[in-house]
Amino acid sequence: MKNIVFFFLVLVLAIQPAAAQVKEEFEPEDMTTFMIQVPHGVEGSGLAVGGSNLSAYVFFESYYYGNMNVTMELDLPESFILQDTPVHSFSLQTEYEDWYRFVDFYVPVDLPPGIYNITATAVVEVEGNEHTIVRRTRLKVASKEEIADEIEVSGLIIPSDEDGYGDPSHPSNSLVIRETSPALKKLLKVTDLRIDREELTSTFIGVELTNKGDSTVPVIITYEILDIKTREPVKAFKPAIMGMNADTLCYATLTLTPGSSSLVSIPLYISEGAMRGEYLLRVKVKLTGSDWAAVTKDQKITAISRKWGPIIITLVSSLLGLTAVSFFFSRSKEIMDKFKTRNLVLIALFGTVSFAAINLPMTILWELSHALFGPFSFLFTGLFYEILLYMLIASLVVLIPKPGVVSLFMMVRFLLGGFITGSFTPITFITLSLSAVLLEVMMYAAGITGKNPDPENRFMMGVVCGIADMTSGYASFSVWMVLYRLFYSDWYIMANILIDGFLYTFIGAWFGISLGNRLKKVAE
Amino acid sequence: MIGARSIAEPTIKDTIVHRTDPRAKILILISTAFVAVTLDNPETMLLLFLTILSGFALARMPAIKLKTLAFLLILLIWGTIYSQALFYSQLPRTVIFTIIQPDFPVLGWLTNGGLFVYEEGLHHGAIQGLRSASILSLGLLICWTTDSRDMLNGLVGLRVPYSVAFMLVTAVRFLPIIITEVATVITVQRLRGFNPKRFGSGIIKTSLNILTPTLSNCVRRTGTLAVSIQSRAFRANPSRTYLKKLKFSELDKVMVTACIFAAISIVIIKLLYNMYTSGIYYTSGLRPVYAIARGYL
Repeated sequence: MKNIVFFFLVLVLAIQPAAAQVKEEFEPEDMTTFMIQVPHGVEGSGLAVGGSNLSAYVFFESYYYGNMNVTMELDLPESFILQDTPVHSFSLQTEYEDWYRFVDFYVPVDLPPGIYNITATAVVEVEGNEHTIVRRTRLKVASKEEIADEIEVSGLIIPSDEDGYGDPSHPSNSLVIRETSPALKKLLKVTDLRIDREELTSTFIGVELTNKGDSTVPVIITYEILDIKTREPVKAFKPAIMGMNADTLCYATLTLTPGSSSLVSIPLYISEGAMRGEYLLRVKVKLTGSDWAAVTKDQKITAISRKWGPIIITLVSSLLGLTAVSFFFSRSKEIMDKFKTRNLVLIALFGTVSFAAINLPMTILWELSHALFGPFSFLFTGLFYEILLYMLIASLVVLIPKPGVVSLFMMVRFLLGGFITGSFTPITFITLSLSAVLLEVMMYAAGITGKNPDPENRFMMGVVCGIADMTSGYASFSVWMVLYRLFYSDWYIMANILIDGFLYTFIGAWFGISLGNRLKKVAE
Repeated sequence: MIGARSIAEPTIKDTIVHRTDPRAKILILISTAFVAVTLDNPETMLLLFLTILSGFALARMPAIKLKTLAFLLILLIWGTIYSQALFYSQLPRTVIFTIIQPDFPVLGWLTNGGLFVYEEGLHHGAIQGLRSASILSLGLLICWTTDSRDMLNGLVGLRVPYSVAFMLVTAVRFLPIIITEVATVITVQRLRGFNPKRFGSGIIKTSLNILTPTLSNCVRRTGTLAVSIQSRAFRANPSRTYLKKLKFSELDKVMVTACIFAAISIVIIKLLYNMYTSGIYYTSGLRPVYAIARGYL
């Protein structure tokens, strides 16, 4: 019995495919897919402009279980210049096997505008029988003016997200070109970085395009960021990425159907060398295959630079100054009681001398030297502001080596300056308070002031004053940059803090000890 | 010639500016300083500057003070313009003059690629100079319309410790004497053949020769002054009485309230706007605030 069942099973399996083959008849439209797109990507009528290099896309797929030989012929208008053979023959062996080709052709520049028919004919030979399938499409060759009227850049969104949509939490038409430190970024979540390379910042530009015509238009969208005055491209906005030119990455392609609007995003990379300011964003829309920009849209954009270093320094300096003043106000009685009346008088008189010998002449000389000598004026003003001032400070510390003496001296200078020349400015407050705090702390730590003071160590005094002045000088530049929105070159800041901040201060403090010793003899 | 006297001494008159309480003046100055460093809009900065300048007309300042003010403002704004013309670092920028060529030996390298005067920097400096000019002008207006004794009373009224106020009184009182002493010492030094303007080690030598006698006098004076002050019960009692009591007028109160309110509002609006532009905080409900900051501040 078992043998009989097995025999019938084998028979059924052997007979079934043969029976199926016999039953299936070839139906060209049902058993194939034959498709033509001119240009590639466009379903329906395409649009081109004279002078375009285009590709026609021809696709053939079989759903027939068996051999077929196909001869495909592409029939283009005579005026088109074909750059490939129009006839292609191929065989498809099995079901779902396919074949495709890009057939390149050129649309001459002087071709009259009009609608041109393109026909693709496939002759399919199955088991000795030939079947013909024909596909037709149309390509509209339009004049440049006509195309320019049909395509419109209806919106430019910068910065945008990866999909091209704007984010209201970011100011429109702006770029952030310098981010904060990685630690701060993580802490504040203030970044919109989308790539890992630290020297590059990226964002996206959203471009909304509208096709007002009745043809499907394949386009390529590119952009340039130009100097608003010279209209020259700014290289910092097209940096090389992984050894490639940014142009190879910074573009988008889009196929616009008739009467539709679409939004695309294009990546924008910004290198560290980019400067803040006003720029011109120029978006170009080109028809696929043509280098001619059908539409160009310009938009003014602002590049914002976040210099977190100076901001943080300003903030810390202000807080330090305010804390020091609050501390003084809250414990003023205890602090002032540590000084004898003659100490207070002496500090006040030193404050007066510093004002008379430095502040008063420098009210005019400082501005005058800046106006005359420009960036090199610090070589002159430093003689007063650093050498003379630190001579006074060092000699005062030699006479009264107590913590708090420098702070009181600075306070008298600040208030006197405010009373006499109206210089109650935030900069003066921040720099003087920071300078006082640094000098107090460093002098105490170095043993210049305190319980067993040694104020006559010239080298120590020079180094302490030099370092304190360099630090407060650097903070002062940060405050100028942040609060007064001024620019300073790095070399200028460096030269200033090294020459004025350290060298002049060191010299002043060194000679201040001699002066203090002479005055000590007078006091004795 | 503008001398130290024209800068330092107040002109006492009976105008609305002179009559304003010194505490009110100090508070207005602090509020204005906050506003000045907060603003970015050039038109609003100019408006603030002109408003402050109108105070000089109200105070009927003499010509010498106005000349001094004009001179200081010109120097200040020109200094800012000049520095910004050189260091301007945003685009667009147009070189109108080259000071140091990028290939100039040593200096070209030192300045990191040369030194140029940028046209846009001149404009930026002029705008940013308004900020300092506003603060300086208001500071001078207050100094020139307030007697130093009233100012000190104002400071004490604002809870500045008396000992500090005393040091300031001493400093202010001795300022003319010390200026005269410094001038006398310089004259003596010149007669002995020193040149105070000689650059380099000469200026240090001259400074030491000027400072030593001036400060020696100060040290000598200190002992006498300290004994004199202590004999008048300085710091003997924790609280003090004052001959002249300061009193806020209604107008003072209105002005101070308006200035402090305006300053706090402007600072908060700009802070919120900067948080928005920095991507730190944004809420759609604050859009009108962002619009005000962007358009007017």
